[in-house]
Amino acid sequence: MRLALAAATLLRHRTRTLLAVLGVAVSAALLLDMVMLAGGMRESFRDLLLVRGYQLRLSPKGTLPFDSDATMERAAALLAAVRADPRIVAVSPILGGQLHVLGAAPDGGESGPAATAFAMGLDARVQGDYELVRGRHAVAGAELVASPAFLRATGAGVGDTLDVAAGFDPQLRQYAGRCRAVVVGEGRFFYTPGEQPVAALPLATLQAMRGEEGRDRLSLVMARVADGADVEQVRAELQRRVPRVSAISTATALAQVEQRLSYFRQLAFILGAISLAIGFLLVTTLVTVSVNERVGEIAVLRAIGVSRAHVVQQIVLEGSALSLAGAALGLALGLVTARYLNAILGDFPGLPAAFAFFVFRPIDAWRALGLLVLSGVLAGVYPSWRAASLPIATTLREEAVG
Amino acid sequence: MARVLGALAVAPVLGGAPGPGAASVAEAQPGVRPIPAVRGVAVDERLRDDLGVCLGDRVVLLGRPGDGRDSALADTVRIDAFVRRGADPSEVARAEYRVRLHLDQLQRLAAYDNRVDRFAVATRDSAATERVLGAVNEAAFGFRAHRSRDVAVRTSRTFQVVQRFHRAIGVITVVASAVFLLCILLLKVDERRRDVAALRLMGISRRTVVGALVLEASLVSLLGSALGLGVGWAVTQGINWYYQGVYRTPLLFALVTPGVALFAVTLSLALGVGAGFLAARRMARTAPLALFGR
Repeated sequence: MRLALAAATLLRHRTRTLLAVLGVAVSAALLLDMVMLAGGMRESFRDLLLVRGYQLRLSPKGTLPFDSDATMERAAALLAAVRADPRIVAVSPILGGQLHVLGAAPDGGESGPAATAFAMGLDARVQGDYELVRGRHAVAGAELVASPAFLRATGAGVGDTLDVAAGFDPQLRQYAGRCRAVVVGEGRFFYTPGEQPVAALPLATLQAMRGEEGRDRLSLVMARVADGADVEQVRAELQRRVPRVSAISTATALAQVEQRLSYFRQLAFILGAISLAIGFLLVTTLVTVSVNERVGEIAVLRAIGVSRAHVVQQIVLEGSALSLAGAALGLALGLVTARYLNAILGDFPGLPAAFAFFVFRPIDAWRALGLLVLSGVLAGVYPSWRAASLPIATTLREEAVG
Repeated sequence: MARVLGALAVAPVLGGAPGPGAASVAEAQPGVRPIPAVRGVAVDERLRDDLGVCLGDRVVLLGRPGDGRDSALADTVRIDAFVRRGADPSEVARAEYRVRLHLDQLQRLAAYDNRVDRFAVATRDSAATERVLGAVNEAAFGFRAHRSRDVAVRTSRTFQVVQRFHRAIGVITVVASAVFLLCILLLKVDERRRDVAALRLMGISRRTVVGALVLEASLVSLLGSALGLGVGWAVTQGINWYYQGVYRTPLLFALVTPGVALFAVTLSLALGVGAGFLAARRMARTAPLALFGR
C-alpha cells in the first residue's frame, strides 16, 4: 500500500517527477564519472606499472623513468649491484634513444630520415615494455620489434629490412651508428603513446649504435622482487647502495604521479560532492513541496488511524524512488560520458596508450548508487518529519476552511 | 655560507631566456669585464623556500649527482637574486627547481663545451620572421628554426586538453543546473495556485496573471543569478588561493569573466522566463475552482 501511494503521488505530477528524475540522473552521471576519475587514474597507472610484475625501477638521479634524456653511466656495475640482492629475481635493463629510419633519395643516393622513432634497447628474455602481437622478439644483432605506428610511418612490415641509424650529431650531421635492421616482430608497447613510432632493439645493438652516448649506459632498470619480500625495504637498501640513481617502487611512483595529477583527484572530489548536493537538494525540494501540497490529505490519513510511521515511510519512499530512478538512468548516462571524457583526456601528450583516467569498477557503481540512495533517504527525512508531526485537527480545519 | 645542494637540475635552456644567462654573454667577453671568483646566480622562490637560502648565501652547484664539491663539475656560487615563475599552464605540474646561471658557467657545469640548446631571435615584423626562418632552415648546419608561435602551440597541448575537459565537465554541470533551476521555478509558480485562482475569480485577466507570474519568475532568476555570481566569485578566490598554494604558481585557475557572468545570467533568466511562462499559462487555463481543489 505504501508503495502504491508513493507511486500515485509521484505520477500525479508527471512533469515535475520527470524533471526531478532527469536532474538526479545528470547528477548521478557526474557523480559516477567523478568516482571513476578519483580512483581510476591510480588503478590504471598501477596496472600499467605492474603489467609485467616489475615492482622496482631505477632511473637517473632525480628523474622519473624516461622523464628526460638523462642516462645512467657504468651500467654493468649498476646491474651487478642490483643482481647482487638475492631478493631480486629478475632485472630488465633498458636504454632509450632516437632511431632514424633512413630513406633513399630519388637518384638512388641517401636522403634524410624518412621517419624518426623512439628506440628501446632491451633484453628480450626479461623485457617488460611490450607484448608481442606477431612475429618474434629481437634477440640479437640488427633486429627490431616495431609498434603499429612505426610500421605505419615507415610503410614496412614484419620481415622487411630497414636502413636505421642512431646517435645523430646535429653539428656534424652524422650518425654514431647505423645498420640494416630486420623487422622481426610487431609489438604493443605499454608505456608509450599509441601514435608514437617505437622500435625495440637488442640492448647491445642500440648501445653500440649510440656510440659514446650509449656505451655502458642505461636509461632505466626494472627489477622484480621475489614474492614475500618487502619491496619498500629492497628499494631503500638499493637506494642506499647505489645513491647515484633514483630507486622507485610502484608505491613511490604512484605517489609521485598522484602528486602530479592531484588536480584531477581534487576536481573529482569537489564535483562529486557538488553533484551529490544538487541531487539531494532537488529531491528534498520536490518532496517538501509535495508534502506541503497535500497536508490535508496527510491529516485525513492520520485522522482515520494511519500511523505516523506509515506516513514517514511513504514520504521517504517517494524520495528514495526519485533517487533510485534517477540513479539508474544516471549510471548508464555516466558510462557514456566517462567514455567521452576519457577520450578527451587521452589526448594528453606523451600519455601511454594503455593509461585510462576513467576506469569502471563495479565497486564505483555501487558506491555512487549507495551515495545517491542514501541522499534520497535523507532528502525524505525532513519533509516526512514535518508531515508526521502535523496537528491533525488544526490542519483539517484549515484545509476545510481554506 | 657554502652548501652542497646535491643534484641540482640545470636549466633546460642554456642562456635562452633574458636574465643572468643572457647577460653573461657580454660579461664573458675577454677584456670587457673580469669574471669574479664567485659568481652570482638566481634561484626560484620554490628553492628559496624549501632550502631556506638567503641573498648572499654561497652554495655549491654540482653538474653530476653524487659528485663532491671538489669535482671538476662543481662550482661555488653566490645567490644574487630570487626569481618568480611565470604563470605558464604547461609548467603547473612540474615540481623541479630552477636555477639561472651565466651561460659559460652552465656550459662548464653541464660539460656542454661551447654549445647551447637554442637561441631566441627577435625580428622586426612577421615578414622578417618568414625571411629569417626560410634563410636559416635553408642554410643552417645542424639546427632548425621554429616560429615562437608554433613552439607555443606545441607546448600548450596539455593545457588545451585540460581546457577541453573543463568545457565538457562544464556542459554536464550546466545541464544539471538547468534541470534543477527548471524544476524549482516550476514548483515556485505551482505553489501560487490558490493566489491565481483568487485573482481569476476576482476578474483579473489570464494575460495579467501570466505576466505577473513570469515577472515574478524572472525576478527570482535575476536575484538568484546575482547571488550565484557573488558565490561564484568567492569560490574562484578560494580555488585560486588553494591551487596557487598547492602548485606554487601565480597562475589563475578560475576566473569569472564578463562572458561567463553574462552566460550564467542569460541562461538563468531564459530558464526562469521559460519555466515561469509554461507553468503560468497552464495554471491560467485551469478553472479557478479546480485550482482551489473544488
